[in-house]
This record gives sequence, structure tokens and C-alpha cells, in this order.
Amino acid sequence: MEKSMKQRYGELSVRNKNHFMKIVLLIVLVFSFNTVTAAENGPPLTHKLTKLKQQLPAPALRLKNMDDEVVDIKDLKGKVVVVNFWATWCPPCRREMSSLERLHLATKEKNVVLLAVNVGEDMDTVFPFLGMISPSPSFPILFDTDTETAKQWQVKGLPTTYIVSPEGKIVYRAIGGREFDHPAIQDAVIKLTK
Amino acid sequence: MHNSITTLTVGLMMSFSSYAGMHQTMDVDSDTGITSWKIKAHGVSFSLTQILPEQSRAFYVNRGFTLQQSEAFASSCVYMTVMRNDNAPGTIHFKRSNWSVSINNKPHQLKSVAQWIDTLKKQKVKMPALIAFRWAQFPPEQEYEVGGDWNQGMLSIGLPAGSYFDLKVRWDIDGKEYETTLRGVKCAQ
Repeated sequence: MEKSMKQRYGELSVRNKNHFMKIVLLIVLVFSFNTVTAAENGPPLTHKLTKLKQQLPAPALRLKNMDDEVVDIKDLKGKVVVVNFWATWCPPCRREMSSLERLHLATKEKNVVLLAVNVGEDMDTVFPFLGMISPSPSFPILFDTDTETAKQWQVKGLPTTYIVSPEGKIVYRAIGGREFDHPAIQDAVIKLTK
Repeated sequence: MHNSITTLTVGLMMSFSSYAGMHQTMDVDSDTGITSWKIKAHGVSFSLTQILPEQSRAFYVNRGFTLQQSEAFASSCVYMTVMRNDNAPGTIHFKRSNWSVSINNKPHQLKSVAQWIDTLKKQKVKMPALIAFRWAQFPPEQEYEVGGDWNQGMLSIGLPAGSYFDLKVRWDIDGKEYETTLRGVKCAQ
């Protein structure tokens, strides 16, 4: 799945004119939003995860990825799953995206899977956005186009991230952007695998 | 990404020292004139940053609104709102419906996200655009744990350009109520 996604990213420069126009529009949009956020860069991103007192089973999550394949969290039992709900227009989501990729690179060989669930957008919006992120995400991007999954997971604002144990229970939650490549978060995630 | 924009923030500012533990500041972006108001109280930080009507229009037109459909919200005195639990005595919980706006001590009713969505549905805004609208708003209700839970989203005050107002923000911790007030906030022109 990852190889296929990388191939698609590699094709970015030769995609059709339509995609090029979307990138231009997205840059305009991002610039517009950055003008807003320039005066309000947002609070510094921390690395604190909330350990939930009541660790309930993770709700259902069965969504299509960028290759139009269904990913079901039920099939990931036995692995630690980091579930990040995000959108391209959300400034803190953009701020934390690179650190999520670094967390993914640091943990993917350690029985950890990262799923980034895009809320309410489509492939045409998300694809050009990913090309603007450095390092570009190589973890699966899933599409919650009707936002029903976000509602089931009780997401009230973006970004929101959950860390699910190998037994399928939500152990940690983070509301708002974080530095996911911070050693404290990496350690907490890896510790769950043991 | 934020570093791509040079921001020179003029740090002027208004201090309301009569409010113990509360400190309000106002920053003006020297390039754009966009103004932010920030306050810290009871371990919670809160800020409003003006979103110019043209920025709001551009955002929603890019999400599927027509220019006409975007107009009512874009011209309703919109702010980028940030609230964060830095070091409050516990988990904070808020409902936006408990917040209040006043102009010269006279109350002004805030329009809820649900009311905005009803208005936009009557204007036949398409579902993907409505979804984008809903999620771009500051959450109507939320809980933040100590140590950095936060959100950033849009808040419409529903006043004409250039209006001045005070915003009282309320939250609770295990039922105990807390509040802080941002004073002298101005709608972008």
C-alpha cells in the first residue's frame, strides 16, 4: 500500500492540468489562512498525551484509503494504532503532520500503525496538499467523507488523536496539535507494544 | 509553514491588572493590520484574532460555497479563536452557549453553529461545504485536559464591521464555574 502511495506522490509533477490548478488554489488558500494565523501562530505544540482513566474499546473504523482500499481497524488487533483525525484547512493539523510522519518512521517497524483520518474532504483536495508537506506522509490516509466515523469517535474539534492498544482499547488522547516526534510520545507509543 | 510569513507583531498593550491573575494583551500585525486579543486566566489561555471578510470568503468559496452563500458569515465579525488548558486546576469543560457578548454593557446574542447551519441549509449550501463549515468552527462544546489540550476554530460574533464588544468566556471544572472577559475587542473593517 505504501509503495503505491509513494508512486502516486512521485507522479505529482506530471499530473494533469486540473491537479496543477488545484495546487495553485490550495497555495492561495493556505496563504490566506497563514495570513490569519501569522498574527496568531497558535500556542506552542506540547508532547503531553492524556492517559484515559476509563479505557474503552475503540469504536468501529472502516474507511477507504487513497488507493480506494478499505482499511478496518478490526484487522489491526495486536498492533498499537495511532488514529489522527485531521483536515487540510486546519492549521494545527498542518503543524503536526510532519511530526506524525517522523513518529511513523520511528515506530513502523515496532508493531505500530498510524492512520490519518481526513474529515470531510476528498482525494482531489487531499492529494495536492500531501505534496506540500515535508517529509511527505507515507502513512495511510483514510477518508471520512460523511464525518460519521469522527462522530462515533466523539471528535469535537480537529486535530484529535487517539492511541489504541494492541487489545483494541483507547489508552491515550490528544486534543489539538502535538509534537508527535517528541521522545516522550514515541516512548509512550512503543511502550504500549510490549 | 508559519515561518513563510514574516510577522512583525507590535506588542502594545492593554493590561487589565485589576483582574487578579488575568492579563489581556492586544497585538497588531504590522503588515496586515490584523489584530489579536489574548488573555490568560485560571490556567487557561484564550485568544481572538480577526479574520478579514475577504479571508473568510476565500476560505469558504474554496470549500464549495458560492460567493453569495459565503457573504453572511464572512461579514459577521469572525475571529480565529484559540482556547487551551495550560495548567488549570483540572479538566475544563465549556459550552459556547454559556459565553456572552456585550456592547456597552448591553447583551448581544451569539448565533450558534447549529443556527448558522440552518441558515446555510436554507441557502442550499451543498453538504460537503456544510461539513467544512461545521468543522472549521470553534467547537460548540469541548473538554480540555491539563497540559496542552486545545482547539483553534472560527467564531462569529454577528456584529457590523468596526463594532467594539466584550466577550465573557465561561467554563467549569467538575461543576465549579470559572470565567474571564476579553474587553474592547474590535470587529475587523
